[in-house]
Amino acid sequence: MRKFFSIGLVRGLIWQMVGTALGIGILTGIRLLIGLPVWKAESAFVFGALLGAIFFLYGVGVLDDWIKVASGKEIPEHIEKSTLGWRRYFGVSLDHKVIGIQYLTLALVLMAVGGTFALIFRSELTETGMQFLTLMEYNTLMSLHGMVMIVGILIGIAAFMNYLVPMLIGARDMAFPRLNAFAFWLAVPAGIILLSSMALGGFDTGWTGYPPLSARAPIGMQMFFLGVSLAGFSTILGSLNIIVTVIRLRAPGMIPFRMPIFIWASIATSIISLTATQLIGLSFQMVMFQRLFGMGFFDPGKGGNPILFQHLFWFYSHPAVYVFVLPGLGLISEMLPVFARKPLFGYKWVAISSIAIALIGFLVWGHHMFASGMAEYLRVPFMYSTLLVAVPTGVKFFSWLGTLWRGKITYETPMLFLLAGIVVFLFGGLTGPPNATVSTDLHLTDTYFIVGHFHDTMFGGYVFPFFAGIYYWFPKMTGRRLNEKLGKLQFWLMAPAFIVLSLVMMKVGMLGMRRRIADYDPALQFVDENQIMTIAAFLIALGVLIFFINVYWSIQKGDVATGNIWNSRSPEWQVPSPMPVHNYKIPFVVVGEPYDYGLPGSVYVKFQEDPLHGTSK
Amino acid sequence: MEHQNKSSALQLGLLVFCSLAVLTAVEFVLAITINIWQFLILIALIKAGLVVYYYMHISRLFEADVDTNHESYAYKLSTNRIGLWLFLLSDLFIFGGLLLSRINLLGLTRPELGQLLGLAVTSILLISSFFANRAEISMEYGDRRQFLTCISATIVLGILFLVGVVGVEWRLAPFGPGDNIESAVFFVMTGFHAFHVLTGVVFLVIVLRNGIHGHYSAEKHWAVEASVVYWHFVDLVWFFFYPALYLIGTIAQ
Repeated sequence: MRKFFSIGLVRGLIWQMVGTALGIGILTGIRLLIGLPVWKAESAFVFGALLGAIFFLYGVGVLDDWIKVASGKEIPEHIEKSTLGWRRYFGVSLDHKVIGIQYLTLALVLMAVGGTFALIFRSELTETGMQFLTLMEYNTLMSLHGMVMIVGILIGIAAFMNYLVPMLIGARDMAFPRLNAFAFWLAVPAGIILLSSMALGGFDTGWTGYPPLSARAPIGMQMFFLGVSLAGFSTILGSLNIIVTVIRLRAPGMIPFRMPIFIWASIATSIISLTATQLIGLSFQMVMFQRLFGMGFFDPGKGGNPILFQHLFWFYSHPAVYVFVLPGLGLISEMLPVFARKPLFGYKWVAISSIAIALIGFLVWGHHMFASGMAEYLRVPFMYSTLLVAVPTGVKFFSWLGTLWRGKITYETPMLFLLAGIVVFLFGGLTGPPNATVSTDLHLTDTYFIVGHFHDTMFGGYVFPFFAGIYYWFPKMTGRRLNEKLGKLQFWLMAPAFIVLSLVMMKVGMLGMRRRIADYDPALQFVDENQIMTIAAFLIALGVLIFFINVYWSIQKGDVATGNIWNSRSPEWQVPSPMPVHNYKIPFVVVGEPYDYGLPGSVYVKFQEDPLHGTSK
Repeated sequence: MEHQNKSSALQLGLLVFCSLAVLTAVEFVLAITINIWQFLILIALIKAGLVVYYYMHISRLFEADVDTNHESYAYKLSTNRIGLWLFLLSDLFIFGGLLLSRINLLGLTRPELGQLLGLAVTSILLISSFFANRAEISMEYGDRRQFLTCISATIVLGILFLVGVVGVEWRLAPFGPGDNIESAVFFVMTGFHAFHVLTGVVFLVIVLRNGIHGHYSAEKHWAVEASVVYWHFVDLVWFFFYPALYLIGTIAQ
């Protein structure tokens, strides 16, 4: 029992419950003292949730070192909290690899939850009429599917960046290991608060939370705003850490144009999430204040402006989709040369294209608002800036094709997922310009065409590369390989089913099926399509289930793989798996280009000694 | 020689403070006489530039590393500086968002507020910034007594600013947060800023406490530098919020 309570996560959750109850009590007490009506559920729950999150952080123990510093005690430079075994993943650890795996686990949990929500309301849509959900339940599940998936994706990206960035640049750890742990543990109560919205009446706005609807939705709306704000803060701190790590801790010789593409992508992503995330936080907090204190920011009756919310919201939320896809596209560029056994085509252009996508991303948010009633003259500049994004994205596609061209391609599971990612992202990319063009967008806006489009970009730019990355780096994490047969089965279930799903989504969208609806008229004649979509969704879910089984089985019984099984040039594969604590016992120097596969005599990194055999070169 | 360096650094701090004070006075006079908003923005930008260069020492970010060993104190200090500045950059977006929201919602009108009280709290914050700068310079040259005095003065003035804004201004304002759009903008802007002042005061108190216990030296005082830079940043934000709330345009009807 005592052992159970020594797990950080358990203590954190207990403290969170205590903090929430305390917050509700304190707020009610204050209202009693100053003579307001004693019970106001909304402000009590908001304050309780906020205090609960702070108590969680204290309880889990991530603040300990900072409290010591503040009270003038010395703390060691590098602590090994040396709990080994599975328990170290459930408490505070400062090792970036442990934190990366913690992020990965949390991401998989959140995405499984978000996916389950989708299956539930997708089943409801199989038939016309309402079968087993009420309208409010449908709206809550549909809205939460969106935001839980987004938070899950953000955390999944953080997982890869945390695990890979210090390893790929040859650093011991992140620049600020304690801040890194703090950012991760902040995401846990954020996720809990976000999901708690279901218990507090749900909300019916979709993931965008536009006022005025969000200003009068049930209390669940506040939990949604608070959860997302906290998750956003976690992302900000995480990306700050990534940028500083890359600027300061690269191995000798790793000049910018010898950095792996994934590092470039991480930097581009982090630039966006460091800065723009503040504005979604601000917009959500302004609605929270509007609800709590009656401040009229978005209330036209008080002189407010609902369109302002959309500007603030999309200033982050459009670049956010580049946050979601850039690391995934970076992973594709990272792994493709390994499986094609050829140099990455146009390395410099690919490196710059990530940064270019990120920077153009700051100028395009208005294309979500063509139909919102914003000033009409804004439509044209936003249309052109959006179309401009296709240029650097096209550079990436050109590079991938150039890399594959005449390569000696082998089709292991990671490669299959990479190819699916490229194809599906191409679908998503090609269906983008019709949405960016004002004339076609006015027809397509808020239909299933949009839903199909962004699911294509998310699966192509994130989900498939994410799985490819897991299959590829799983041996580095555990020393064992994921099972290839189960991996291929997962792939052949997921990829075709998803392609069918998204294409059918676009078809019914063009025929006029609105997004976010709970029911549709059978006279519109897309019952059959909806049934196909539901079946496809369940096939994808089956694929994911097989993935989980594969992970569970392979951790214990998978083929042992400690060497350079992919025959990669990257430094992390030159040392035995699983990666030792503090990464490289023998530092390396970068002496060549990162992706020159198949060129005789070319070397990327040079260790002082051969780390596999211990002999000096 | 060192003594001379210190006194010239202190003199520079005083000179910058005098320029900021004059600029603030000019800003106020311009606002109540001709009230051209472009001038007010220009003055705010000049003030921000002075603070960023002379008080926050942005040039330190671009100094070459003396020691390239990643584990050395000097190298980590530069790393910490970059981290702090990235955090400030991120924070700048939330304040920029508030400022743009204010422009979108209010345009060239402003809430009905006493302009003299605004000038008073602004002056208090500016003087506190002067003492913060003095505290940092004192620590840099190892003068612990002067450091403690100056940091205490900064904390007292910071608390005075909070009392002025939250205790006095919020009560005197002829409206509550939910009354109209001007009041909503006023409370959210001063509220976000006051929260940052509060966190700044907390950091400074921690630094004062550890300073009394002798944890900082002329060579190692990153916590002092960080809290002071953060304090200047909070002051810098107020350079823009003050004209936006108290000076620009005409009072909304």
